[in-house]
Amino acid sequence: MDAFIEGLTTSLQPINIMWIVIGGFLGTVVGMLPGLGPATAVAVLIPVTFGMDPVSALILMAAIYYGAMYGGSRSSILLNTPGDGSAIAATFDGYPMARQGKAGEAMALSAVASFVGGIMAVFGFILLAQPLANFALRFGPAEYFLLMLLTLSAIVSLSMGKMVKGFIAMSLGLLIGTIGIDTQSGVYRFTFGITELSEGLDFLIVIIGIYALGEVLFNFLTIDEDSKKERKKVGKIWFTKDQWKRSLMPMLRSGPLGFIIGVLPGAGGTIASMLSYSSEKQISKKPEEFGKGAPEGLAAPESANNAASVGAMIPLLTMGIPGSGTTAVMLGALIMLGIRPGPLLFENQPETVWTLVNSMFIGNVALVIINIVLVGLLVKILDTPAKILYPLIVMLAFIGTYTLSYTAFDFFLLILFGYFGLVMKILDFPLAPLILAAIVGGDMEQNFRMALASSNGSLGIFFGSGVSIALFVLIILSLCYPLIVKAFQRRKAEPTS
Amino acid sequence: MKKWLLIAGATLVLAGCGNSNAEDGSDFPNKNIEIVAPASPGGGWDLTARSVQKALQDNDLVTENINVQNKPGGGGEVGWKYLEKKDAHTLAVNSSLVITNNLLGTSELTHEQFTPLAILSTEWLSIAVAPDSPYSNIEELMNAIKEDPKSIKIGVGPALGNNDHLSLVQLAGEYGIDAKDLNFLVYEGGGDVVTALLGGHVDFVTTSMSEVKEQHLAGKLKILGISAEEREEDLEDVPTYQEQGVDMVFPHWRGIMGPPGMTEEEIAYWDEQLAAMAETELWQEIVENNDWESYYMNSEETSAFLKEQTAMYKGLVEDAGMGQ
Repeated sequence: MDAFIEGLTTSLQPINIMWIVIGGFLGTVVGMLPGLGPATAVAVLIPVTFGMDPVSALILMAAIYYGAMYGGSRSSILLNTPGDGSAIAATFDGYPMARQGKAGEAMALSAVASFVGGIMAVFGFILLAQPLANFALRFGPAEYFLLMLLTLSAIVSLSMGKMVKGFIAMSLGLLIGTIGIDTQSGVYRFTFGITELSEGLDFLIVIIGIYALGEVLFNFLTIDEDSKKERKKVGKIWFTKDQWKRSLMPMLRSGPLGFIIGVLPGAGGTIASMLSYSSEKQISKKPEEFGKGAPEGLAAPESANNAASVGAMIPLLTMGIPGSGTTAVMLGALIMLGIRPGPLLFENQPETVWTLVNSMFIGNVALVIINIVLVGLLVKILDTPAKILYPLIVMLAFIGTYTLSYTAFDFFLLILFGYFGLVMKILDFPLAPLILAAIVGGDMEQNFRMALASSNGSLGIFFGSGVSIALFVLIILSLCYPLIVKAFQRRKAEPTS
Repeated sequence: MKKWLLIAGATLVLAGCGNSNAEDGSDFPNKNIEIVAPASPGGGWDLTARSVQKALQDNDLVTENINVQNKPGGGGEVGWKYLEKKDAHTLAVNSSLVITNNLLGTSELTHEQFTPLAILSTEWLSIAVAPDSPYSNIEELMNAIKEDPKSIKIGVGPALGNNDHLSLVQLAGEYGIDAKDLNFLVYEGGGDVVTALLGGHVDFVTTSMSEVKEQHLAGKLKILGISAEEREEDLEDVPTYQEQGVDMVFPHWRGIMGPPGMTEEEIAYWDEQLAAMAETELWQEIVENNDWESYYMNSEETSAFLKEQTAMYKGLVEDAGMGQ
C-alpha cells in the first residue's frame, strides 16, 4: 500500500505528468499515421530516454503505447485506412458512420470507449496482475493455436452472406503468412531467393497496401461519381444519448475481454478487438446493423484494444516477457536504463510498478481529453479536397512503409498489395479475413506444429486442458451461431406466413 | 521557436568547425559516421549499435555525427550487403551469424568479405529447468536425454542454427548424444522460450543467461549451468559447464566490422577509438546493465578469432545435420 501511495505521488509530479501528456500525444499522432506505430515511436525515443530518470522513461514509453490505441482508430474512421492491426476493427462501423456524416460522433465515441477500456484495465492490473500472469502461463502451443483459430473463425463468420468470399480471402491471407523461413524446420518457403522475403512479409505492409493504397486507387476509379454525390455535412462532435446507451454495455464487456487477451503474450490488440467485435455482433439484438455504422460496433473493439495494451504490460513487468512488438522494444530500452522487468521488480522496486500503474490512470484521463479536443480538428480532414487528400495518404503510406525496415524493396510489395486491394474491392471481397489471416496465420501454423511435436503427433493435446476445451466450445459456437440464428428466424417467421 | 532555430544554427556552425579542424590533421573521418544495426530496433544488435554511438559521442572520441541505421532482414544479410558498398565511414554490428549464415547455406556472404574491426562484448548461454525438475545438474539431464532423446522437449528460439541451439549441440556432443535426435520446439524468441518453461510446456531451455537470470534469482526457474569461463558475480550458485566436467566455453559475442578494402590508416583510426571506447565508464555501465560482459579484441585479434570460430561452427553445423 505504501508503494502504491508512493507511486501515486511520483506519477503526480509535474515533470511526470508532462511526460504522460507528451507520450500520450505522440502516441495519438503516430497511431493515426499509417505504418508509424508505437513500436517505431518508442525505438526512435530510445536515445532520448538515455538521459532520463528511468521511471519517467517507463511512463513516457507506456503513454506512447496506449496513446497509439486512441489514435489508431482516427484514420480507420475518417479514411478507412487503419494504421495497425488493432485498428482494423474500427473500420467496420467507424467508416460507415463517417460516410453517414457522423465522423465527429464516431471519433468522440471511440475516444470515450478507449477511455472506458483503459480505466477498467488499469483497475484489473491493480487487482489481478499476478494471478493473471500465472494464468497466461497455462497457454501452451495448443491453446494459442485454438485462440487464433477462434479469432479466424469468428472473423469469417462475420462475413455473413459472403461466406465463400470470406473463406477465399482468409486462405489468401494464410498463404501470405507462410512466406519466409519456417522456424520449425529452417526451410525457406515462397521466398524465390529474395533475401528481403526471408523473414516473411511484415503484415503492416499488407495492411497499408490493401487498405490505404487500395482505398486511394479505388477512389480514383469512382472519384467522378463521388464528387457529384452530395457529401453529408459533418454534424456534431459529440455522440447522442441513444449511441451512448447502445454502446455502454458492449464497452463494459469488451474492456475485461481485451484486458485478459492482452495479458497473453503474443495475442495482443488485434485479436482482442476482433473477438470483441464478433462477440458483440453475435449477442446483439440488431446484428444486421453491424458493418453499417452501429455505434456499439465501434465502441466495443476500441474499448478492447486499449484494455489489451494495458494488459500487455503485465507479462512485461511481472515476468520480463514482452507480449507485443512495442513491449519488446520497451524491454530493451528499460534494461539499458537499469530497470530489469521480471519477477523481482515487484519485490525490489514496487514503487516503480505502481508509479507506472498510476501514470496509466492519469494518462487515460489526459488522452480522452486530448482526443476529444482533436475531434474538431480532425473532422476537417473530410473537407479536404480529394486532389490534396489522396496524394497525402499515398505519401504517408510510403513513408510508413519505409520506416518498417528502411528498404526500398518494401515499396514494391506495397504497390503490389495496393493493386491487390483494389481488385478485392472491385470484386467485393471482404478485406479483414485476409489481413487477419496474414497477421495470425504464421503463428497459428507454428503453434499447431509445436503442439504436435510436444505430443509426439497425438491430436489429443488439443483437448488436453480445461482452457483448450473451453476454446473449442467457443469455436464451435462461433461457427454454428449463424446457423442457429437462421433456424430461429425461420421458426419465428413461420407463424406469420 | 526562433530561439531554437538560433541554437540549431549555432550547433551547425560549431559542428562545421569541428570538421575543418579534423581535416587539418588527417582526412579521415571527414563526414558523418553511420553504424548499421542489421536488425529492427530493440534487439541485441540494435542496442549494441546505439550503445557504441552513445559511448563514442558522449566521450568525444568521434566528433563527427554518428547515426544508427536499422537494416533488418535475412539474419543480418540485408544490413551487411548494404555495408559492402560503403566506405570506411560506415560500420556494421555483427555476431557469429556472419559466420553461420554461410555455413547454413542461407547466405553467400562470409566474414572474409569485410574488414574486422573489433569484438566488443559477449553474453553467455545457459541451460535452465523448472525448479521442481528431476534434473539437478547437466550430467543428469544429459544422461536422461541419452536414454530416450525424444521424451525430453527442448525450448529454443528464434531459429535452429543459432548460438542457443549450437551450444547445446556441442554440449550434447560431449556426452556422445547425436544432436539430430534432440526434440526441439522452436519458439519465436528468447522471451517465448522462458514463458514456455515457466508454463511447463517444455522440459528445459537453452537460451542466453540474461533471459533466465531474473527468474532464477526469484526461484521460478533453475539454471543448471552456464557457458562462461567463470561463475557470474550475481549468480554464485550456478556452476559453469567446465566445472561440471565438460570442456567447453561458448561465448555469444557481438562485434563490429567495416566495409571491404579499408586502408591501414582507417583501420588504425577505428582500432584506437574503439579500444578507447571499451575503456570508458559509460561503456562499462551499458555492458553491465545489459548483462553483457566486456570481450574487447582489436582488429588483429578479431581476425584470428573469426578464423578460429569459423572452424568450430563448421563442425557444429555438421553435427546438427544442417550443413550444406
